[in-house]
Order: sequence, then structure tokens, then C-alpha cells
Amino acid sequence: MASKLLQLAPHEAENHLELSLRQAFQLLEPKLRPPFPLKILTSDECPDLTRAILYGALTETHLAKTHIKHLHATVSDGYVLFVNLLARIVNELYDKLAETAKTQVLWAAGEMVDVSAVGFSGLLVSLLRQIVGGDFGSGNLWLCFEMVSLFLGKWDCLLEEDPLILTSALYNFLRLLADHCRATVDSRLDALKRLEIEFCVKMLREQFGLCLKFGRDLIRLLQDLVHVPEFRAIWRDLVSNPREFGVAGFLDVAQIYSMRTSSRYFSLRLTPEAETQLRFMLTHVKFGNQKRHQTWFASKFFCSPERETLIVDIVRFICCAHYPPREIIHSNTIPRWAVIGWLLKSCRKNYVEANAKLALFYDWLFFDERVDKVKNIEPALSLMVHSIPHYIELTHALLEFLFLLVDNYDMEQKDMIANRVSSSFTLLINQGLSRNLENLTSGEIIPPPLKEKLRCFLSDTRVGTAQEIQPSKTLGHLIPMEVGTALPEEHLTDV
Amino acid sequence: MLSIKDIVPAALNNITTQFILLDKGKVATEGQSKTCLALVADESAAVHFQFWGEECDLFKPGDIIRLTNGIFSYNRNHLLLRAGKRGSIEKVGEFTMTYVETPNISEMRWVPDANNSKKYVQEAVISPYSRIFPPML
Repeated sequence: MASKLLQLAPHEAENHLELSLRQAFQLLEPKLRPPFPLKILTSDECPDLTRAILYGALTETHLAKTHIKHLHATVSDGYVLFVNLLARIVNELYDKLAETAKTQVLWAAGEMVDVSAVGFSGLLVSLLRQIVGGDFGSGNLWLCFEMVSLFLGKWDCLLEEDPLILTSALYNFLRLLADHCRATVDSRLDALKRLEIEFCVKMLREQFGLCLKFGRDLIRLLQDLVHVPEFRAIWRDLVSNPREFGVAGFLDVAQIYSMRTSSRYFSLRLTPEAETQLRFMLTHVKFGNQKRHQTWFASKFFCSPERETLIVDIVRFICCAHYPPREIIHSNTIPRWAVIGWLLKSCRKNYVEANAKLALFYDWLFFDERVDKVKNIEPALSLMVHSIPHYIELTHALLEFLFLLVDNYDMEQKDMIANRVSSSFTLLINQGLSRNLENLTSGEIIPPPLKEKLRCFLSDTRVGTAQEIQPSKTLGHLIPMEVGTALPEEHLTDV
Repeated sequence: MLSIKDIVPAALNNITTQFILLDKGKVATEGQSKTCLALVADESAAVHFQFWGEECDLFKPGDIIRLTNGIFSYNRNHLLLRAGKRGSIEKVGEFTMTYVETPNISEMRWVPDANNSKKYVQEAVISPYSRIFPPML
């Protein structure tokens, strides 16, 4: 007797995907028991059989191996349909799956990796996205544990079949590890953290060339782990002994700054549901009418203080992975800068707010017109400008933070960073934000010290082709997370 | 599928419509059952909805709800949309629906149609927005 696939609450409508799988299963159930018919299936029959096998594999734990054998024997499409359906179940229904079904999903995913099924990477990404940072419930920690174990256990196969999936996993586990390290001492997390550290260190030490494909956000993520001994050692080598990583041409950690991180990484830390809701807000909700949608979003995704870290990932996502089309920009839909303003105001913890601002300004620090996109830097300036006059404290805070970053983010590269921030201002001014910018530099809107610094950046004559990044001559101090609060001694890199 | 703006009061269970739950009031008791007043809306209009019994605890703001065979009628001087004995509601989604909070068809004065006393028509607006659930500003 098959158990149920989903645990639906009494008021929830039936789900079409689950229904199609269940109906196929019920229809073909006699054919799912050995001995399996030897006749070749028509192309019409294959999809239904695949659906039936999938449903059976997820709901009949004791027969799952038989179902998969049946799949191996009958597959004719490289497992494409099976993997796509499984990925859809994860994307659309993971939260509603029965506990046993979740275990089966993980097991089936492993089977698909073993046969190098077409599309297995997409399935793994779907699973990674279901791990919620800052959620320390047992279900979520279990999923995280299973996934990091899968990546470690199937390392060789993954490296051979699709090395880029390993970089996606690295992004995920570096980010999750930072959240897990912040949790108050919880022994359940110890084993998990050890595995996460093991995976990340293995990637960085053995496959650094792959890690470089990540781009500059690798530095942003690694900085949050500076206090972990294994990562402190990696920092030491990155800064003083780059050749240790054995990648031809990699001579200086600062080279990583010039590599823009692909936008596909920024959706990795959002569940598909969070992504759908954010894109909906930025596409359909009118500016002025956003309060209710924002309340619902916050109560679902920032329901506890630990889950607030998601704000950092959302800010990065909005800047770099969501570009509203022209019609939306010119309509009265809520703009990106307004959503970011709301997110920043929602931060209750200082370090989350600091990291969120860093995420907002990150591409400013290294902006190079040849590789970077102006759309990634526009929201920050729009937010500063539109906050005048009603939210002027936010404009002050953001400007102060930006100048603090320029001076302290990487002291060895201070000139380069200042130059790039100037470029960012200039490029945005050329896009037509200059009228409002005059509000910032004239009058009494912002205090004189800030105004002077801003004038310097706006009139910088070095703006033009981005200066090449000079190699570090001595070891630099890299900024720890607690920007704007007292810097604890042990967080400074100690090389 | 009716738009909310096209719903008229009647003693009939024939309203099938879909809306998003904006706000819920406190749970009260009516006779033996729990009831709960709520503000729901679609892109055309808003209306007051009454949850009964278990429904009160199951649905939350942001839920997108499909009502089948519901009824829109007076209940203790309130003009309310509800599932009623023959209707049902189920949650079909969350968040991804736009809405308006005005007009609110519960905040209208309805009178029998001069030509057909069984039908009702809108005579006047009592309030453009819900007086029980004002808009969030």
C-alpha cells in the first residue's frame, strides 16, 4: 500500500502535479511489479510509465529499488523526464512532501547522479535552494546534511560530469556555514559544520581554478568565515602565497576582484517561492500599495531573527539577478530601490544590516565597464537619491558606509577601489540621475564632511578606463563583518 | 468565475470566485460555531468575507482562495460573502495576486431592482473602503 506523497492541510486544493503522478501510478500499478513486460514501449506510453515509476519510488520505500531498476531498463530519454519531474516536485512541493517522501527524493537524486542523468545538475540546484539559511529546525538541517554528504560522497563523479555544479554547491555551503557559525552553540550543528568545512576546504585547496569561476563574491563569502581556523589558513595562503593554489596565472588575491560573479549564483540562496514572490512584487505591485505584500513576505521569510540573514542574499539578488524591463520601470510598479530600502529597514541585527549594505555596494567597489553591468549599481544610488528628504538618515548612513568601505575594505587596493567608486558615480550620472544628485551636493541636505567626500568622488578626473588592479605589495587587512560597530580583535585577519 | 465587482446579494449559493485574503479579524462565536470576519479582494473590488468553524484557523493573510457555490447575503446587518452550507473554500496559492480595496461591495447600500424585485442593485456607496479593515498605509 503506497503511502501518500504529500501532506496537505485540509483546506489546501489538490495539486495538479501530484495528481498526474498518482493517476499514472494507479493506472499502471499492475505493470510496476515484476516480471516486467518485455515489449518495447511506444513513445506515448513512456511518459506515463515514468510518472508511475516516480510516484512508486517516492511512496513505496520498500519497493523503491525495484522501481528504479525498472526505470533503468525502460529509459529511452536519458532520464530527462524523470529528472525534470523530480526537480519540479522539489521546486513546487518540497515543503508539502511527506517525511518518507523527502528521504526518497534525496535517494532518487543520488541515483540520478550515479547514472549521469540528463539534467541532474538542475535537480541538485533545486535541492540546494530548499536549504534555508538561518533555519535551525531538524528538517532543514537534515536536508543540509544530506546534500553536503551527497556532494562529498559523489565528488569524483560530479567533478567529471559537471564541475560547475560544485561551484554552486560551494556558494551554498560557504554562505550556510557563515549562518551556522553564528548560531549559538548547538551540538547538532557540529557534525554538519565539520562536513561543510570539509567540502569547502576541499574545493578551495584542490579545485581552486574552479572556484575562481565564481568571481568576486567568493571574497565576500570567504570574509564571513575569517574566524574559522581552516579558513584563516586559506586566507593566509591567498594573501601571502597564492601559488599554493596551483592555478596558472593566479598571482594575487586582488585579481579576483575584477571577475564579476554570474547572476545565476544569486538565486541559489533563495527558495523558488521567495524568488517568485520577489519577482511578483517587482513586476505587479504598485508603488504605494506594497505594504500588505511586504508584511506577508516578512512574516513568511523573516519570521525569526536568525532567518533575517536572507535579507543579504535578497539584496544581492535584486541588484544583480532581477532587471525590470523598460515598461515596468516607467510604470508605477514598486522600483528595486524601494524594495531594498524596505529590506534594509527590516534588519534588526547590525551585522545583517552591514552585510546587506556590503551586498548593495559590492559591485561599486570594483566596477569595470568592460565586464560589469550598470544595472547592478543603479539601485544603490537611486535609493540614496530618492530617500531625500523624507528618509535623509538613510542617505547619510549609506554614503557613510560607502566611504567607510572605500577606506577600509582592502587597504592595499584603496586607490583602485576609490577610482572604481568614482566610475560608478559617473556612469550613473550619465544615465540621467544627475538632477536629483544635485540635491546631495548642494544645500544643507548632508553634513559638510560627507558632502566634501562626495564632491571628490563626483569630480574625480581619473575616471575613464578602469585602472588595472595593482598587485598587493604587503599583506592587507580585510574588513570583518561588524562594520559600523566596534571591531572585535579576533576578527581581524592576523597574518 | 465571477469578479467580485459583479457579485450581487441573493439568497442563492451560486457564487464561484477567486480572491486574496488581505486581513482577518478576531475569532468570535455565533451560536455553536467559531466565526471570523475578513477582508478579501480581487483586481476588481473588495468584500467582507466570513469564515466559519475550522476555516477561521486554517487561512491566513496572503492566501489565495477559491470559493465554490458561495453566498453573498445579509448576516446580522452585515453584507457578507461566505461559503455557506452548500459552498466550499480551498487555498489555491499565496501572494501572487494583485487587488484593489475600493470599491468594497459590502460597504454599499443595495436596493431591489425596480424592474425585478428579486434582483438587487447598488444604490449608494456607504464607504469607499472597508470601515472594519482600513487600508494599510
